[in-house]
Amino acid sequence: MKCEDCKGILVEYIEGLLGESQKQQVAEHLKDCPNCRAEVQQLTKLHERLVQNGKALARDDFENDVMNKIIREQNVQLKAASRAVKALDIRRIIMKSPFVKIAAAAVIIIAVLIGINPFGSTVTFADVIKPILNARTIICDLIIGSDESGPVMHEIIVDSRIRRTMSNMPGMTHIIDLESSQMLALFDEDKTALYIDIQGDLGDRTQSYVRFLRNIIMKLKDNPNIENLGEQIIDGHKAIGFKGGNSNEEVTIWADAKTLLPIRINLRIGQMYSILKNFELDAPVDESLLSMDVPAGYTLKDAQFDLGNSTEQDFVESLRVWAKVLGDGTFPDAIGTESAMKDVAILGQKLGEMNLSEEEATQMGIAFGKGTLFHQIIDGRGDDWKYVGAGVKLGDAGKAVFWYQPQGSQTYRVIYGDLTVKDIALEDLPK
Amino acid sequence: MSENDKYYIERCLDGHPDDYRHLVRRYQAILLANLAGKLGNKDRAEEAAQEALVRAYFNMGKLKRPDAFFSWLLGIADHVAKEFQRKEQIKRQREIVRSFSQDAPAAELSQDYALEAAIAELPHAYRNVVLLRYYGEHSCNQISEQLDMPLGTVTKQLSRAYAMLRQTLQQQEQAGSLSPKE
Repeated sequence: MKCEDCKGILVEYIEGLLGESQKQQVAEHLKDCPNCRAEVQQLTKLHERLVQNGKALARDDFENDVMNKIIREQNVQLKAASRAVKALDIRRIIMKSPFVKIAAAAVIIIAVLIGINPFGSTVTFADVIKPILNARTIICDLIIGSDESGPVMHEIIVDSRIRRTMSNMPGMTHIIDLESSQMLALFDEDKTALYIDIQGDLGDRTQSYVRFLRNIIMKLKDNPNIENLGEQIIDGHKAIGFKGGNSNEEVTIWADAKTLLPIRINLRIGQMYSILKNFELDAPVDESLLSMDVPAGYTLKDAQFDLGNSTEQDFVESLRVWAKVLGDGTFPDAIGTESAMKDVAILGQKLGEMNLSEEEATQMGIAFGKGTLFHQIIDGRGDDWKYVGAGVKLGDAGKAVFWYQPQGSQTYRVIYGDLTVKDIALEDLPK
Repeated sequence: MSENDKYYIERCLDGHPDDYRHLVRRYQAILLANLAGKLGNKDRAEEAAQEALVRAYFNMGKLKRPDAFFSWLLGIADHVAKEFQRKEQIKRQREIVRSFSQDAPAAELSQDYALEAAIAELPHAYRNVVLLRYYGEHSCNQISEQLDMPLGTVTKQLSRAYAMLRQTLQQQEQAGSLSPKE
């Protein structure tokens, strides 16, 4: 046998795939040929190393870890799907329940109004931000939350006005005028219109999402701490990214690498995350869509609602609604804007089943809305806060549900399961 | 080796999700090897392998040819590896910015995964055969069946793969002994 032929079938030889006679021939050749012998040795060494490594990598509980992850992920997906289905199912109830109208209005407002915080220092991603700063009209989608599981708000923004529709509450439109701190809510189903007042405390310290974003961006200009995230494919486009902020606010902008128009913006304010995407800048907008007048064919409800100055007491009342109505007597896993966005429709359904009078439902709606706004304000302001109520029973005086440190205060305000509130020093906060 | 991939995939799609377990068992070492080779770190390889398997599970319905599950799964794993590498790169950039250091620390590749790293660099056809043979503990005959190719092609590919692996490993060793570790 020639060396060439021998080398050609060494793998088969090592793998034991050769017939008897061929195996014999190789063995004979190897006896006489030190070259081929060395080759076999090398190959066997590699073969054994591979076999060893193959065995070393397997791990017993890996399989269970993967299966558990799948189960967890499935639960999340199921929950999101059932939310979506429920949201659609209860559309009629929403339209009939004054509670939901108000609460939905509050949720809507929450996402528009943001506390202002002085921003630290200031780098040059000027080219990327110019389009955002200069556009007169902006159309985009806004999602509250760090992922995209929440309802999508479609926004048309012109100057100080915003027209907003939400994916989980079809048939409802809100037009917000930040100049006059007023909001017009329109309900398709029963063709009614409602004005909601957002003046006062809230109006003073708040501004439009876009203006807020612009402010952050302006302050970030020339900031040496701005991070260049380099290029990535975002939503199918080659994009260039920047990130900056301070401890309370953080903004990440992904802009098209060629046109420099924004593709996606992630914003964090306090503990609230939001995502803006599907931008259209300076697209022609029919400005009558943003009129604050009641459109023809709609009846204006005579009641005026005020979501302005909200207090801690409103917040406590909203916690009661969370626990009593949504949690059947137990505080939910989470509260706040993101949860409110996702659960307001379910909340409306449950309230609908409770047969409240219109008066009661409205009161509850205002309390819930104002309470959620109060939470929004302390978060936006950068107050230290924590929700620890998951699983706590309504009425349990021994367990804390929420605490926060009001601006300028040395002590914390702690809200317990029975909805009493106490001043507590930092070191005495429940663990 | 019990049932083939196609059987388990159909079972999963048919409402028996726990049967996915068999596929996880079958391919876990292969994924770990491939990802350890690419990422150079066992913990991250495990994390990435789990992620790839979870993604594959939720996208199984999109798999057009169930008998090609293996190469499809490896494709997902490659994609996850890229994402991980990108994240790592960004993290490193951030660290550089923070520490004001001038040079980027070289990517650390553990010596333990030198072999896996060399496998990860092989052309895909060769890589798949090596992974199935050693990390999937398939015999050459089983590979020939699974990848639907003649036995002679399997051994030829193994033979070429060995040659490339030896070359890469040799280069690695030389590079390791020439440049002082910084």
